[in-house]
Amino acid sequence: MSNATETELRAGHSTLGRQVALPVLGLAFLTFLATWATTFQWIDETRTVLGMTVLTLFGVALLLMAAGVAGIGVLSRFGFLDTTPSPTAGLPVGIVFGTLWAFIGMAVSLQYIGNTIVYWGPIAFVLGAVGLLTATLPREDIGSTVPSAVLLAVLGGLIVAGVLDATWVYEAEWTGAIFPGSELIPLLVSVATLLGVWSAGKAKEGFGAQGREVGAFYIIGTVVFSMLSVLALLIWFIVKNGLDTFLTGASLTGGHLNVPFASISFPFIEVPFVTNVTGSLFVETPGVMPAVVGTLWLVFGAVLFAVPLGVGAAVFLTEYADQGRFTQVVEVATNGLWSTPSIVFGLFGLAFLVPRISGGNSIFVGQLVLGFMLLPLVLITSWESIKAVPDEYRDASAALGVSKWQTIRSVVIPAAMPGTITGVILGVGRIAGETAPLLLVFGGAPYPSKSPNVVGQFSFSTEPPFITNQALLEPASALPYQLYATITAGVFPRPEIYSNQEFGWGTALVLLLVVLGLYAIGVASRLYFRRKLHYE
Amino acid sequence: MLQQIPYRAGEFARDVPRRLRSYRARTDDEALLIHALGGLTTLLTFVLFFQSSKWTVIPLLGFVAVTAVGWRRQQAEVAKGLTFLTTIATVSILALIIGFLLWESKDIVEHMGLGLLTKAEEPLWGASNEGQIYSLTPMMMGTALTTLIATAIAAPLGIAGAIFISEMAPTRVREVVKPGIELMAGIPSITYGFIGLTILNQYFYAEFRTPTIGNYFAAGIMIGLMALPTVVTVSEDAISTVPESMKSGSLAMGSTEWQTTKSVTMPAALSGVSAGVLLGVGRAMGETMAATVMLSHTKGFPSPAFDVFSNYGETLTTVIAFEGGSASGLQLSALFAGGVVLFFTVMVLSIASQWVEWRMQQKLGGEK
Amino acid sequence: MSSNTVDTDQMDSQLTTSGETAEDIEDAWSDYQFQGEAKLSVEDLDVYYGDEQAIQSVSMNIPEESVTALIGPSGCGKSTFLRCLNRMNDRISSARVEGSVEFDGENIYGGRTNLVELRKRIGMVFQAPNPFPKSIKDNISYGPRKHGDLETGLLPSLLGRDDTAEEMDLVERCLKQAALWDEVNDRLDDNALGLSGGQQQRLCIARCLAVDPDVILMDEPASALDPIATAKIEDLIEQLAEEYTVVVVTHNMQQAARISDQTAVFLTGGELVEYDDTEKIFENPESQRVDDYITGKFG
Ligand SMILES: Nc1ncnc2c1ncn2[C@@H]1O[C@H](COP(=O)(O)OP(=O)(O)OP(=O)(O)O)[C@@H](O)[C@H]1O
Ligand SMILES: [Mg+2]
Repeated sequence: MSNATETELRAGHSTLGRQVALPVLGLAFLTFLATWATTFQWIDETRTVLGMTVLTLFGVALLLMAAGVAGIGVLSRFGFLDTTPSPTAGLPVGIVFGTLWAFIGMAVSLQYIGNTIVYWGPIAFVLGAVGLLTATLPREDIGSTVPSAVLLAVLGGLIVAGVLDATWVYEAEWTGAIFPGSELIPLLVSVATLLGVWSAGKAKEGFGAQGREVGAFYIIGTVVFSMLSVLALLIWFIVKNGLDTFLTGASLTGGHLNVPFASISFPFIEVPFVTNVTGSLFVETPGVMPAVVGTLWLVFGAVLFAVPLGVGAAVFLTEYADQGRFTQVVEVATNGLWSTPSIVFGLFGLAFLVPRISGGNSIFVGQLVLGFMLLPLVLITSWESIKAVPDEYRDASAALGVSKWQTIRSVVIPAAMPGTITGVILGVGRIAGETAPLLLVFGGAPYPSKSPNVVGQFSFSTEPPFITNQALLEPASALPYQLYATITAGVFPRPEIYSNQEFGWGTALVLLLVVLGLYAIGVASRLYFRRKLHYE
Repeated sequence: MLQQIPYRAGEFARDVPRRLRSYRARTDDEALLIHALGGLTTLLTFVLFFQSSKWTVIPLLGFVAVTAVGWRRQQAEVAKGLTFLTTIATVSILALIIGFLLWESKDIVEHMGLGLLTKAEEPLWGASNEGQIYSLTPMMMGTALTTLIATAIAAPLGIAGAIFISEMAPTRVREVVKPGIELMAGIPSITYGFIGLTILNQYFYAEFRTPTIGNYFAAGIMIGLMALPTVVTVSEDAISTVPESMKSGSLAMGSTEWQTTKSVTMPAALSGVSAGVLLGVGRAMGETMAATVMLSHTKGFPSPAFDVFSNYGETLTTVIAFEGGSASGLQLSALFAGGVVLFFTVMVLSIASQWVEWRMQQKLGGEK
Repeated sequence: MSSNTVDTDQMDSQLTTSGETAEDIEDAWSDYQFQGEAKLSVEDLDVYYGDEQAIQSVSMNIPEESVTALIGPSGCGKSTFLRCLNRMNDRISSARVEGSVEFDGENIYGGRTNLVELRKRIGMVFQAPNPFPKSIKDNISYGPRKHGDLETGLLPSLLGRDDTAEEMDLVERCLKQAALWDEVNDRLDDNALGLSGGQQQRLCIARCLAVDPDVILMDEPASALDPIATAKIEDLIEQLAEEYTVVVVTHNMQQAARISDQTAVFLTGGELVEYDDTEKIFENPESQRVDDYITGKFG
């Protein structure tokens, strides 16, 4: 049984294998990046480099990778390299290659032979079986290099030979869309390079368990790297496209900061896009002021509604209720509320609140609906933080003869505050960007010409309900709603200043700043409180 | 656990009289009165509000008064009562949501019968020579397509990301990547939609000549990106609860970190990871804004069914968001029915993920 | 050395009339010569957790095919020292190791050491039992499978390389060695987390034997066992010493005296105070502090 060879304690199997694998890895990474750059049209696929178009270059790179990878595999198999391969590359690898080949067989026969399962079925099956067997039957060093080398070589060869080029088009039967080579080839190549990365990674460590580890690391690392790049790209798109709009007419000292109750005013940063109204003909640069004010009111109202309710319920559940069925029911209900789609909250507001409160879209209903959405998060986070308050605190306080409520008020709630505050900030970040329910219960004119004036609109009467606030009962705008309204409205009322898209990007940037700002504060306060907890 | 619910409910009901007696014994008369008045005014407020009465404000003021007086005389008892009310309020919101959704969709169910969920021939939506017809089937199909595409993106990438963060990344990298992913969860969905609309949709239209600007595939990609952070964070939490001693045990036997991840950590975290994926699917299904601005709002069935580049584009969420503002009558009722379908599907996913997570705790706790 | 240690030394000298100093003690055992080859030789080993020093310049040679016991009061760094020998301290991000440990003449802390290979050859049984949440059988065959010594499953059986029979033999042999076979032979497919703590610990010993290492490090392997199982484990350890190098941490003096060939005494602060033949340590230690510790006066 024990056929374990006495391998070296030192890492670094064959230097030759490494020397071939490393450039292959480098080439694969470069090609991977280049394919995505081509997809994003930063590199024009018809450009010529070194006398070849970019696409041909991809083909050459694939051929080189194929040669390198297959070379290591074959050398290792015939004992020229000091490697530690397992007897087989394993069933999962076989299944991956089998599936790939089956798909290739299907696509090719569909295209060139005909759309009958009698034709493509057997071809796909046979190719799939061949792919599976060639990957699993030979020893690991062949099984995990040659199959991917063949794939790389076939694709690379077709590209270099000019069978696949930018003008080639795949017209599938199953859809009206077409797939031009200029777009499809970079995609195929980037998938192929992942295979190359995997094979070369394994080869670099001399196959075996450690080879598999490195192969997995490279694949997963590449995937995560791409994921983060997408995040960076998303943010970069917004900043790039929105900055011009955002900074229209902005200056560092052009504005005024008025000191209240004293008629002094200082020069101040001026950003008209944030401080001007949207739909008026009398402002030079239309801005998103009404939406900013609307968002502030929404968030304010939602917090005012959700925080007392959420914290109160958390206190009851941890301090008064016995842990049992009741708490279980509340927990399930809270998680249910938390995962309820936002549009459903909108529907609920439309059916329940709108007819009873304002008869139409209004700020007040918007506040309540967003409050409903914020509530489960506040409850969950404060529940967690109250549970985390050690029982010794409660015991110590009780031992001093302090009543239960006094203990809760002066010990439990303060101790749970940091976690709750963090949760609320993160939750506010979430609802500040929420749009769907606002469409149903809140939104008004797409380009408002004034900000809602809630503070100045309270009026009293002798009739019930005694206090009314007209502004709260009227529709308004909020940043995410403004963005939606801009998208759907089509034309901006003053196209000579902004196109509709420019205004949209500007709004998106302001929204992103607000939301990410809140997130950053939330994450920072979490770090701050955690650190305080550790050092006190 | 689920089979036990009826049994537990019965037990709970039998428990009520005992609870009431013990409550009576613990509470003095004045506190009892305050509790009773507070409960009564709350109930009255709700009933009057429910009936859209303009007198709602009277019991509300009464409640405020009772609370104020009680706060001075019996602060502890009032605090207890208030926190109890807040708990009840939280649960009632969910109950009210369910109630109103069902109530409002009653009309369309009476009108369409089962056809609401199964009718697949034209006309599908709106007034026609067959009368008022509203079928949710194309939207359910659309939701299924976008959710499938989104899951195909979010599940593998999310799990890979979670493994990378908790098992592979050096500490420095982890400290950057983790908040980065959390931040990604914070970007509003309308922003994703705007980017999808102006960049992705245009790209598919220009390069792949899709029949319309906007298709299920592009929307699915964007929704998948949005669901990704949920999958990553929940799965990552699950993976990092696998005790270090278990991993050390594997490493000390000379297995590689990847073998440890594959054979020890992931199997132990499997249920938590699946909970993450389920939650991600729920998010993808309920995602509204990105799909609303990206899809074409044409209702129908692509042929073949997996033609994700067709000119059709409508999901349960998008139809509600797009038409909810102006709909009335049967159409509005149909939208509510769409909300019901959506709500219960997501609810099932949520409960399933909680159950799966609960199983994981049991398992790691040593049960078989 | 920390001032705290010096204090203890002074206290010692007051306690004893011989007036010995730290230097004397060090001289007395530091040229300790045992029979046979050194399997592991530790040279000037320092371990820090952040700023805290847990091991203070320890040097010792561990002979092959024998049992070396590490004893000392709780928190003196025995587990830390043990973890240095197969580099499990690498898992703790705050831990920093200085000095060298040579295994068969190769420094395992000198760059590019293949940790996987190292840990295959230096197995470890942890202080708290840590079976995998898998079946008892799978716990045993885990190591050999991962090292490619056992192949089971769909593909190998299709290729006619299936080792199921070997697997059963191995499981039986290892469980018998670890004195667990009789208790579990009828439920090999049950989850290992359903075993009792003592059974789990023996399972971990069996799991370690299945990999067939050169050196076995055991951190209080018998601390959760009843006297009968303990006796079985002690027999096992003595038996293992014919073939393997065993390093065992224990709190039980009698156990150390019974099973080990040589004993190292660590005292608080992570210093190695004395290292010698077990008989010598228990009958006539050089250091008064060791004598006090063994007779229970100090620790
Ligand atoms: N992961 C760690 N991080 C920080 N300090 C640690 C860590 N592990 C151990 N220590 C510290 O190092 C010192 C030695 O610990 P170690 O576990 O080696 O003691 P021990 O001799 O095995 O004790 P016991 O007999 O109780 O198992 C202790 O003071 C302990 O607090
Ligand atoms: Mg210890």
